[in-house]
This record gives sequence, C-alpha cells and structure tokens, in this order.
Amino acid sequence: MMRSGFALMRGLWLSWLQYRSFFFILAFGWMIAPLIYLFVWSTAAGDSSIAGLTRGEFVAYYLVLIIVNQVTYAQTNWTVGDLIRYGQMNQVLLRPIPPIFDALASEFAGKVVYLVFDLPIVALLALILRPEMDFQLVNALAFIPALALAWALRFFWGYALALLAFWSTRADALLTLQDSLIFLLAGQVAPVALLPAGMQLAARILPFRYMVAFPVEVLTGHLAGADLWLGFAAQGSWLILAFVLYVVLWRTGLRRYTAVGG
Amino acid sequence: MRPLHLIAAFMRASFQEESAYRANFFISLLTSLLNLATGVLGIVVLFGQIEMVQGWTLAATLALLGVYLTVSALRQLFIGPSLEALAGMDGEIWTGAFDFTVLRPVDTQFLASFRKWRWFAVIDLLLGVGVLVVAVVLLEVSLSLWQILSFLLTLFAGMSILYAILLAFAALIFWSPGVLFTWIFDGIFQMGRYPLGMYPGWLKLILTWVVPVGVITTIPAEALLGSLTPTNLLTSLGLAAVLVTAASILFRIGLRRYASASS
Repeated sequence: MMRSGFALMRGLWLSWLQYRSFFFILAFGWMIAPLIYLFVWSTAAGDSSIAGLTRGEFVAYYLVLIIVNQVTYAQTNWTVGDLIRYGQMNQVLLRPIPPIFDALASEFAGKVVYLVFDLPIVALLALILRPEMDFQLVNALAFIPALALAWALRFFWGYALALLAFWSTRADALLTLQDSLIFLLAGQVAPVALLPAGMQLAARILPFRYMVAFPVEVLTGHLAGADLWLGFAAQGSWLILAFVLYVVLWRTGLRRYTAVGG
Repeated sequence: MRPLHLIAAFMRASFQEESAYRANFFISLLTSLLNLATGVLGIVVLFGQIEMVQGWTLAATLALLGVYLTVSALRQLFIGPSLEALAGMDGEIWTGAFDFTVLRPVDTQFLASFRKWRWFAVIDLLLGVGVLVVAVVLLEVSLSLWQILSFLLTLFAGMSILYAILLAFAALIFWSPGVLFTWIFDGIFQMGRYPLGMYPGWLKLILTWVVPVGVITTIPAEALLGSLTPTNLLTSLGLAAVLVTAASILFRIGLRRYASASS
C-alpha cells in the first residue's frame, strides 16, 4: 500500500513539475487574499495597535496564515467532483488501491510544488515587512499537531462535499460557499478575535476556523491555556465527523455511481 | 451606425445561447451574492475595529467596493467573455477557428472585443450599482454635478484601461500561447477592492504605474467622494488614452503574425 502510494505521488509530482508555471500561478492566486488583508490591517494598525495587535504582529499572523492556508488547501475537492461527473472515476476505481489514495497522492505532490513557490516569497516578504512574533517552543510544538489536524479536517470535509457529485452535477456550488465561509470565518478577513460578536461565535462553533486560523493562532501565541485545549477538542471532533461523513458518502455514493456508457 | 447594429445582434445571439442553460442562473446568483457578502463583510469587520484608515471611512471604502464590483461586472459582461473566446483556453487562436473571424468584413479588433455577452453579469452590475447607492446614502452628502460627471469620466477611463490591459494580454497570445498573463493580472486586480492609500508606498507605485489597478478603482471612487485632484484626473485620462492606443497597435502587429495550422 505504502509503495503504491509513493509511486502515485512520484508520478504526479514529475508530471506536475512540467507545468511548474501553471501551479506557481495558482499558488500566487491563493496568496493574494491574505496578502491584501495583511496590508490593510497593518496599515490600519499604524504605529499604535488594534485589539492588542501591533503592525508587526499582523504581519506575522498573515505570513504564517499564507503558509498554513497553502498547506491545508485541498485542491482535490474540486478535481474529485470532475472525475465523477466526466466518468473518469472508472480508471481510478480499477486500480488495486482505494481512490482516496489517488487524492492523497496529488495532495502531497501538490504541496511540494506549491511550497517551492510560497516559501521564498514569504521569506522575502518577511525581510521587507519586518514581522514581530513572540516565539515560544511550546507554541511551535503545539503548532505541528494543529497544522496536521487542520489539513486532515479540510481534506476530508472537502472530499466529502466533492462526493456529493454522485448525487448532483451542481455540487460545486457548495464548494464556492465553503470557500466564502473559510474566507470570513477562518481568520482570513481578520483574526477571529477581531470579528464582530456574532461572526466570532459562528467561527468558534463551525469547522472552518479549525481548518486554517487555529494553527496560526497557536503558533503566533494568541491562544493560551483553556482556549488551546478547547480548540484542539473542537478540531478533533470536527475531524472525526468529517471522516465519518466521507466514509458514509463514499459507500452510498459508489453504489449510485454509473459512469456514462457504463 | 453599423457597429451598434452589430453589437445588438451579438447581444441577442449571446442571450439565446445562455438561455439554454437556465439552471446556471441560480448558481450565478449564488456566486454573485457570496462575492457581495464577502466584500461588504470584509469592510464591516475592518471598520468595526477602527473609525478611519488613511482618511478612508466605512462609507468611502464601501463606495470604492461599489466601483470595484461595477468595473468587474462590466468586464464580465462583454470584454472578458469576448477576449476569452479569442485567446482563452481552447480559444479561437488555439483551435484555428480565428481564420473565420479574420475573414469577416468588420474590423477584427471590434469583433474580438464585443461579440460575446455574458448576461448573468447583469446581476453583478446591479449589485455593484446598489453598493454605490448605499455608500452615497451613508456618506450623507449631496453630489454636485461635477462629482457625478468626473465620476462617470474616470469610470470610463478606468474601464478603458482595463480593456487595454486585457486586449494586450490577448494579443500576446499571438507570440506565446498561454493564458497565464490574464491569471496573474486577475490576482493583482483583487487588490483594487481596497484604496491605494491602504497599501505600502512601493506597492502603491506598482499599482499605479506598472499594473494600474489603483487607477481603475481608486480614482473613480475619489471622484465620487469629491476628493479627486486634477493630477489624478489627468493621470487617469492620459493613461487610458496611451494604453488603449498601445494595446490596439500591439493587437494589429500580432494579427499580422497570425498563421493558422493550414497556412
């Protein structure tokens, strides 16, 4: 299983490197929204601070967010729906390993290509914009599981949504809705603590914050004690739910699936 | 008046094409509403924390968002789809169907710029104008005739600049087939959602002179707010004239290079 997984990943990675510029441009597009808010908030903070955050802290928050957003961004959410709609899922189903491995392989292969683009740019921006961060080893250690769980949550949640293509050809609309909610509630438009009360409550309850903002808040030290544990608990619960949703939708959906001409 | 007749015919044909896919209307509506909601909430969240940023209040920034949405909607209405049909993925230049376009007894640039209309973009246009109206009401000022005139003038200049940039990118396809220029531009164009003043100095220069996204949105918003300086007015008009001329020349040179697979 592991070997075939690696083979898939290697194959995809090599084929993707041929289209480097295409993927670099995708990565550039995903970086723009956080960048806009980085500039807007750091200009707004100026020489003083907003809700306790200084200009440099906004810069640090958003630079970390750019990386986290890229690491957790599940592009397979979009492609899996197309596979089902166009009937190309047939080929994937014929392989001797479950199709989710195909998605996982392109996830990992993709991350490498995107990060090759992102990391140097973020490093350059850090040199120009001078971020300020109270770096602590504890936060860095907590960041690793938070990031891994965020990735898994966003992946399985998105994969489950994409599987709705088994039932409706228009399931993509839900993914657009999800992207908007992530923009608003997952710390992109502003750090969750700065949102108005209603939105903040929604952000803490719904799964979206735990897909992007939570690891960023952990690393930049915005969370302490109980908030941290509560966050991990919420993140874990949503991950379990997303995984169950994926299993259920996959099993029932596959039974409905008949490819064009099949 | 022949061009106007032609445009009317293009509009009709596109409408008939689109009305075949009626269910797309609701998806389009959802996307438009989400786009509006994220734009407005972004501004509401920002001004929930602070009264004013670099002289821009909530109402003023909302007016800018209105300009951004209006300009994007006009682009989606005809410039975008028309040039996409020419130079996009599987566009006419790739497939060679451009041969037939060149053969038609009309100016090719005119044909390439106006022939496809995406009527769903009318929703976006209405939402954009709606945001502008709300912003003017929130500003609690009565607009002078000059404000309205200079707004329309700079908006037209902004649209022309946008058109020139997109036409130039489409023309570059004659040299190197790749849609990527437009994609990069789309990313940078997003920055037009917020006033130039909210970006650091080096970025402000880039957004004025290299990729004049700021000129497209910030200057019309300033005109509406009555804070337009004569320099900015002249910059906007001058840049529009220069860029449209340059892009048209580039398109014509590119056209001469065009050779389809069979020739």
